[in-house]
Amino acid sequence: MNAAAVMDPHPTIIRPTDKISTAARFIMEKRYRSLPVVDENGCYLGVFGVNCLLKQVLPNAALIEKGLTNVSFIHDSLAELHERFREFGNQPVSICISNDIKTIAPDTPLIETLLLLYTHRASIPVVEPGSCKLLGMISYWDVGKKILAS
Amino acid sequence: MRETMLFGFDPAWYAGLLFVATYVLVMTEQLNRAVVSVTAACLMIIGGVLTQQAAFEGVDFNTLGLLTGMMMIVGLAKNSGIFQFLAIWSAKRVKADPWGILVMLVMVTAVLSALLDNVTTVLLIAPVTLLITDTLKINAYPYLFAEIFASNIGGTATLIGDPPNIMIGSAVGLGFNDFLFNLAPVVVVILAVTLLIFYLFWGRSLQADPALQAKVMEYRERDAITDPRLLKQSLAVLFLVMMGFIFGHDLGLQPATVAMFGASLLLIVHNLKHTAAEESASIHKTFCEVEWTTLFFFIGLFIVVYGVERTGLLEKIAHHIIELTGGDRNVTAISILWVSAVASAIIDNIPFVATMIPLIKNMAATFGANGELMPLWWSLALGSCLGGNGSLVGASANLIVAGFAERSGQPIHFGKFMLGAFPLMLLSIFISTLYLQWRYF
Repeated sequence: MNAAAVMDPHPTIIRPTDKISTAARFIMEKRYRSLPVVDENGCYLGVFGVNCLLKQVLPNAALIEKGLTNVSFIHDSLAELHERFREFGNQPVSICISNDIKTIAPDTPLIETLLLLYTHRASIPVVEPGSCKLLGMISYWDVGKKILAS
Repeated sequence: MRETMLFGFDPAWYAGLLFVATYVLVMTEQLNRAVVSVTAACLMIIGGVLTQQAAFEGVDFNTLGLLTGMMMIVGLAKNSGIFQFLAIWSAKRVKADPWGILVMLVMVTAVLSALLDNVTTVLLIAPVTLLITDTLKINAYPYLFAEIFASNIGGTATLIGDPPNIMIGSAVGLGFNDFLFNLAPVVVVILAVTLLIFYLFWGRSLQADPALQAKVMEYRERDAITDPRLLKQSLAVLFLVMMGFIFGHDLGLQPATVAMFGASLLLIVHNLKHTAAEESASIHKTFCEVEWTTLFFFIGLFIVVYGVERTGLLEKIAHHIIELTGGDRNVTAISILWVSAVASAIIDNIPFVATMIPLIKNMAATFGANGELMPLWWSLALGSCLGGNGSLVGASANLIVAGFAERSGQPIHFGKFMLGAFPLMLLSIFISTLYLQWRYF
């Protein structure tokens, strides 16, 4: 059993040119943690997720390495956070793509795939070796369903 | 020195070449500076210049103890949130006015750098600065530039403010008050003149939207204090340590004893209500805050310089310098000041000062040892500390601030920084020259 056997070959994707506000509304409605960003040629570019949205409303000084570890002295309201979110909502998704999640090949053994799911705590993109083509996504739910059904 | 040198090398040549190689490797940063200096120290022993016992005699444990003690105190105290509190409080005192914030952050950075170490100060002040400038939507560069200057200028004022002063104080037996009385007056003048220059450059252009200033005013600085109990304990211990530095010298207490006692005391009181497991974790964490690579860099360097000194090489160089300056104490002092400043802007000031200390001690034969050397020591302290402002690589604190600037997407470029910083550093050395002339000659 390998990654190809447990992946979803038709995952929901977003385009790098989509607006952040549109993508954000979509992942909020569907309760996705992250979604793969794929260009018009089917090439995988990275993921767009809730972490990026949080990053946009948090102070930059707290996000940089060795930055502020305590921001409890800032008391922004929901309206202020919404205002900050609005400032970048019209920007394209391309400015908010993360490449932190490792991609895997379709022939990656199942146990290795599970270990990656465990360490990354996010869905894993399956990419064609030697190219950037997205073949599918592997989520906890896909794997869980397959294990329970066997 | 050992009876036989390895392969019959000439000790002065061997030690001299090893010393130059150490300098070059530290400057080029191809290898970690602590590894370089410890390896060179071992080669000094293996080569036969020093025995292991003699090498240990060259290590200044007073400097090491003072650095370690202060690193532990600050490492624990910073967890209280006091640095963030001070930065936010100072910004609010001036109603979040951009120029007022710059002045206040300069003052806070200078005072903290004088009483604690520069690196920790900027490490904790710079992120708050970036937060404030982000909120006000203004350029962070003037603030970060000013903080670099404030940390190096403030650190010059006291015995514990900057490593060169710690080394000089320890080697010559100078106390906290000696540095305060002799260096703090000129430091105040330099800081005031520097602020004036900042005002001429940036003062009128620093403007912010009143609505954004109101946002800064909404920060609740009290909430930055994450551990009020630790804050009280840290302030009490820091006060005792300062008193120890001020009054301990006359009682024969060395700064290392005061700092290490303060660190131990803070660890004891902080862990009084902790379980054994919590206490163990807390103490382990505090010891991890000690910059061991810096301490081992010092140890290796002390041994290398001691090896060179024992061969008589530094004595010869000292004679040459005196010949060059015509045996004039005034000319020698001013030369030390300017050479130290330019050298410290380019190379690490720690190895430079470690070399200059025995060199100046050797000048006692010409100038006398009863206080006649004092202007030379103040020249070295002023030059090596203030020289750190000359370039982005001049001091560790500069690189820390530059790192923050880079990560926040507002990089400080080496050339641009030096274009403004080097002339400003030279101005501070010019003021120091006038001060030394007025006060000691």
